[in-house]
Amino acid sequence: MANNIMLVIRREFLERVKKKSFIITTILMPVLMLAMMAAPALIMMVSGSEERDITVIDETGMIGSRLQSDKETHFNNLAATPLDSALADTDVSGVLYIPAGTMDGKATPRLYTNGSSSMSLESNVTSQINDIIEDERLKQYDIENLDKILEEVHSDVKLMSIRNDREEGEAQSASATVSYLIGIILTFLLYMCLLLYGQMVMTSIIEEKNNRVLEIVISSVKPTHLMLGKICGIGLVAVTQILIWGVLIAAMSAFVLPALIPDAALSEMAALNAGTLDASSASMDMEVLQAMTLMSNVGYILQLFGLLILFLIGGFLLYAAIYAAIGSAVDNIQDASQLQSFVIFPIIIGIIFGMTAAGDASSPAALWTSFIPFTSPMVMMARVPSGIPMWEVWVSLAILYASFLAMVWIAAKIYRVGIFMYGKKPTFKDLIRWARYK
Amino acid sequence: MDNILEVIGVSKNYTGHKALDDVSINIARGTVYGLLGPNGAGKTTLIRIINHITAPDSGTVMFDGHTLTAADVSQIGYLPEERGLYKKMKVGEQAIFFARLKGLSKADATTQLKRWFEKFGISDWWDKKVEELSKGMAQKVQFIVTVLHRPKLLIFDEPFSGFDPINANLLKQEILQLRDEGSTIIFSTHNMGSVEEICSDITLINKGQNILTGNVDELRHRFSDGRCSLTFTGDPRQLMEQLKPMASEFFLDEPKGDEQRLELKLAPGAMLRDVIAAANESTDLIEVGRVMASMNDIFIKTVKQNENND
Repeated sequence: MANNIMLVIRREFLERVKKKSFIITTILMPVLMLAMMAAPALIMMVSGSEERDITVIDETGMIGSRLQSDKETHFNNLAATPLDSALADTDVSGVLYIPAGTMDGKATPRLYTNGSSSMSLESNVTSQINDIIEDERLKQYDIENLDKILEEVHSDVKLMSIRNDREEGEAQSASATVSYLIGIILTFLLYMCLLLYGQMVMTSIIEEKNNRVLEIVISSVKPTHLMLGKICGIGLVAVTQILIWGVLIAAMSAFVLPALIPDAALSEMAALNAGTLDASSASMDMEVLQAMTLMSNVGYILQLFGLLILFLIGGFLLYAAIYAAIGSAVDNIQDASQLQSFVIFPIIIGIIFGMTAAGDASSPAALWTSFIPFTSPMVMMARVPSGIPMWEVWVSLAILYASFLAMVWIAAKIYRVGIFMYGKKPTFKDLIRWARYK
Repeated sequence: MDNILEVIGVSKNYTGHKALDDVSINIARGTVYGLLGPNGAGKTTLIRIINHITAPDSGTVMFDGHTLTAADVSQIGYLPEERGLYKKMKVGEQAIFFARLKGLSKADATTQLKRWFEKFGISDWWDKKVEELSKGMAQKVQFIVTVLHRPKLLIFDEPFSGFDPINANLLKQEILQLRDEGSTIIFSTHNMGSVEEICSDITLINKGQNILTGNVDELRHRFSDGRCSLTFTGDPRQLMEQLKPMASEFFLDEPKGDEQRLELKLAPGAMLRDVIAAANESTDLIEVGRVMASMNDIFIKTVKQNENND
């Protein structure tokens, strides 16, 4: 009869993998993700071309003339005009009024805008005024060679963080920002897979029950076997998808990325890996450099995807079992919505803790929720990029796998009763009662 | 007697009610056995127990001489009343899937399916998706899937529902042929006419209990209650007058030309030959017959009686 489980798995797997939608999402998803990462840069390049004319009324006589116009913002200094008449002119983008007490911090400059203001404009104006005021105040100390001193004093430190607890040869350099980003991406990936594929199990069971093909199937397959086959088949689809993504990304990092990265950056990355990079002389932002170093580290990517798949399998089986029990109990999707909250609630808690854990992997909350089976897949995947002790990963996995076995066992008991129940919408209590039938 | 299936004292409880209460049934090999009963009587539960889908609380099921096990399921073919197919799957692919679940190899399943599809004239459906088929078409596929692995025991639950008379007849012929080839068939239906046509024995279940078991012909004789019919030409009123001491109830049919047909129930102790003698005297007797109770009457009478006893 184990043969029948294989047949069910095969059917469930092939039915989904052969679908066009699966092939398209599997190929398009990495492209989409890349596009999403590139989108902000593209948007910045395209937008931001709107020009603003700002009329400046400067009562201090010291600031207005020194405001620097750039491509986006033009400052027109109108010292003698009263504010009221300047405000009457609504053709300009705005009026910047700098009252007399501004230099001493006794009055606040005001920006009157016709139409919406923008964050970049406001920060531009604020920082320019601050710079001018600071400059003026410094001058009052009457220090010789001030400009030269300032230039010598100026510092632009780049922090390079290096993991001390890693073995030699491992990727040693990982900034918190980079691991945060990777953690968030992995958590979301897991969250999406658990939710999407879990629900797929549920809808597929409801459909089978609804369209009564179930009656024919269970005359050859034991209900428990059918449930297991379905869960495994759909789980395999999820694993296949992640594997394909893993291979695609690993291939990109091995072959495509080195070709795209400039030679200078490449040698800096090599220096970074060897720990010999002089950060101050680096041509690029440290974080970008570290991110690129990680992305081109094929071993690291494969390790991440390996763990991702282990947690995906454990988490999926746990949640799919609950989804299966729910699916078996109801006649249609509408009836399932109420019971579904039992699944969606812990998944959402998982993603919330996962997001905080990505920022601070060693906080107690992150530690504990990465051992609780309902949240552990998402929280653990958020923590892994920050480099946590491997024993924590294995303990978390062991707990997760033990709990999915227990959950599958309970779900199977509910399932074999539930699939024969038509009509009445079951409550959570009913499910518990069914699980207790011998 | 050689029984393919023996259900011995099977009971099954669901919370609150007894679905089956000490039911025993013996089904002889090579027969068509009717499993009858009102809605909710427990037929489906019994069929599920025979199919090893649910387990009885007590009692045993013997299949082909041994206790029923999960492995025997491959020797059983079950066409449920409520049935469907995977909509998105292709017909041929799906049929192969179900055949393999019953233990056939892919090659065997394919060759045998092709043969059946040809027999039913549906070969060109092979690559169609199920959602493109009509209900009757899908049912043909389901029938094929049920019988394909040549099971020893076949269970049909309302197999004719949804079929037009031509296809229903085709299906009936196939079922009888399967019987002739050695399969035993359990036939569950509410259509009593088809029970009379194809079943040799029946069991009537009501409220989880076996309330009537027996050979169809014997039951129909037993329930005929000494009814007989006289076909004759002559005056029916005079005949009825004459027969009054010997019979209790009379039903006179509409005359067909000269011919009259009178149905009557023999009084206790009365002999049919006296009736014939009397009829011979006053009329020209054409035909004397015994009236068989219809399965419909037997069903209604037995179930009502059973309800009244409770």
